[in-house]
Amino acid sequence: MIVADLARPVLARRLRDEGLRVRTGPVVNRIQSRLPRVAQGIALHYAEYPVEEADGFADFHVNIVTPRGVRRWARPQVHFQFDGMRAFLPLPADQAFAMLEWGLNWCVSANCHQYLIVHAAAVERSGLAALLPGPPGSGKSTLCAALVNRGWRLLSDELALLDFASGFVVPLPRPVSLKNESIAVIRRFAADAVIGPIVQDTVKGSVAHMRAPPDSVQRAGQPARARWIVLPRYESGVGARLSPLGKARAFMCLADQAFNYDVHGRRGFEFLGDVVGGCDCFEFDYADLDAAVGAFDRLSRP
Amino acid sequence: MAGAIPDPSSSALRWRSVPPDALAWRHWGEEWVVRNERNGNTHLLGPVAGRVLELLAHAPGPLATAELTAALDPTLGASAASVEDVLTEFRRLGIAEALPG
Amino acid sequence: MSRERIDPLLGLLRDPSAAARFQLADWDALIRSARRANLLPRVALDLDERGLTGLVPEAPRAHLEAARVLAAAQAAAVRREVAFIDRALADRGVPIVLLKGAAYLIAGLSAARGRMFSDVDILVPAETLADIEAKLMLHGWASAKTSAYDQRYYRRWMHELPPLKHHTRQTVLDVHHAILPTAARLKPDSAKLLAAAFPVPGEPRLRVLAPVDMVLHSATHLFCNEDVGNSLRDLVDLDSLLRELAVRQGFWEILAGRAAELDLARPLYYALRYARGVLDTPVPDTAIRAADAGRPPPWLRGLMDGLFLRTLHPRHADRALTSLARLSLYVRAHWLRMPPLLLAQHLAVKAFRREESVG
Repeated sequence: MIVADLARPVLARRLRDEGLRVRTGPVVNRIQSRLPRVAQGIALHYAEYPVEEADGFADFHVNIVTPRGVRRWARPQVHFQFDGMRAFLPLPADQAFAMLEWGLNWCVSANCHQYLIVHAAAVERSGLAALLPGPPGSGKSTLCAALVNRGWRLLSDELALLDFASGFVVPLPRPVSLKNESIAVIRRFAADAVIGPIVQDTVKGSVAHMRAPPDSVQRAGQPARARWIVLPRYESGVGARLSPLGKARAFMCLADQAFNYDVHGRRGFEFLGDVVGGCDCFEFDYADLDAAVGAFDRLSRP
Repeated sequence: MAGAIPDPSSSALRWRSVPPDALAWRHWGEEWVVRNERNGNTHLLGPVAGRVLELLAHAPGPLATAELTAALDPTLGASAASVEDVLTEFRRLGIAEALPG
Repeated sequence: MSRERIDPLLGLLRDPSAAARFQLADWDALIRSARRANLLPRVALDLDERGLTGLVPEAPRAHLEAARVLAAAQAAAVRREVAFIDRALADRGVPIVLLKGAAYLIAGLSAARGRMFSDVDILVPAETLADIEAKLMLHGWASAKTSAYDQRYYRRWMHELPPLKHHTRQTVLDVHHAILPTAARLKPDSAKLLAAAFPVPGEPRLRVLAPVDMVLHSATHLFCNEDVGNSLRDLVDLDSLLRELAVRQGFWEILAGRAAELDLARPLYYALRYARGVLDTPVPDTAIRAADAGRPPPWLRGLMDGLFLRTLHPRHADRALTSLARLSLYVRAHWLRMPPLLLAQHLAVKAFRREESVG
């Protein structure tokens, strides 16, 4: 069963009561919320995702709640709760869905130490994965959104999960977060892309989420070997330029962008060395999305 | 290490890395990455530093700057002064120690 | 004391073989409970030790593995940190005594198994505090609490320097001169604790508390400490210490006497009562009777049973009443540690500053 199989009133009730158990890649999230915005966001973005049974195992139990008190009506806020404990400072109520997304990312990055988790987008073509690491503002989400609208599979927008056992990238397909100008850019670039409501005045500016392509969700069980590491940088005036990057530098970039590199100590060092060793590494300056996609397509052709 | 820090320019100094089992490194082309178990830090090293590290870690005993410089591949073009700079940095990072000759 | 329906976490802590009977829904509850209680790595290692990990279904097993990795990383970090502290204070001339988690780890005790660590705690003679602080600051530690109020609070009324944070490693070091504040109602004599401290094999400059004192400190920490969210974890510490240390010749015989000597009879009473009651710790009846000297009046014991047991039973974590219970314990912990007037002032300041940060 997928989320779209639930009638809207049933979805809303489940979210209010026992929670909705949604599978995103290797992780099952039990989500509870009384807020209409959360139900709408889930109905839009998670339509294709599997729903799990109530008496099974959920990896993370999260709630988006409105706190009691006067603020409820004055300037309403929402809290994110993980296992019943408040995890972050509250946000304005119109950011409820964005808060859910940030919170679900946090759950994975703080707990899933069976993976080396890199702050990177990851896309796949022909069974091979490209990792796009980069701090916020590097343009990786915009590039990722463009690629997955031109035939690349979305493995992840924010968190690349590298599996110690297999060495592969494990898919965690979830909505792609877009900020500020990127929202309009992607709307123009991909008329078919499903983008949710824009929320203003977040700490990151204006934010909207693009639905993960259904194919990416359906193939969430297919990991891919990392083959390219590409450090994106949005640079106006440049069409698209790939420059080779030394592997030692690529290693340092991944280690720097990994949430749990230090947790894994020596083992993390050796594992990351193996992953980098098997990849071609590049810096990538781009301003034109069509040219960028072209550059990636050429990269992926043998 | 108690006592005064030896002057790295003294030719009487001998150098050794922290025990090799505390170090892990990889290199691709001219650059190296090394992790130090003693403090959990990871560093990017250039070609001279990387090679000096390898020599120190594999040496049976402490080495003087002159011995290290002589053991380096001449194509690296490393002078004794640049090797001393590397060793001083290694000490600061906790990768190597200086022993009075 | 009655035992309510057994929470999967408590069931597993008492008897890891209970895992064989767990359904997925039990694992769901267990993983959450254990994570909240900071006991997930402990559970993972308990199962490993008995060869039961293979019985765990794949999804919960991933969480156990992740927790194990995290605890191992923290233990490695604590070892490194203790080495840094030892080097920084190498020429101090007085021994430093490691406390709590760092002590269990360096001394190789089973209480360190699967433990989550945050700070390192050390005990030093009061007269050396200024010198120790100076040496640490020279080596890169700085005070983490900078408000004048906090500085006064810690130095004058608590039993420690304000927590020290290392400027590059970001690790936290708590330097204590006593195990309870000087203004507290109970007054264990630090000089006695320091005099009885044991050297650690292979570490010439490090000491840990004597076994009986280590147990008493754990008991004190559990029942007088303000961090009540960690109560079950602290009880697990106590249980591990007792199981490993109490097998030594004469341990039980001297325990109650030492507690009286250190003015810690009340914490010992509660410690043995709840360790036996909640975790089935094997405590001989003779020891229970000897500890009876520290018992509270019946009305207070009933209240404490209610408060502590609510806090310790993880299943209740979802219910509002437990927040109240935890708050009552927090107030009580402070009551044991500080004079009433100061307590009211301190809690008011803390409450005020918390709201400030949320705005």
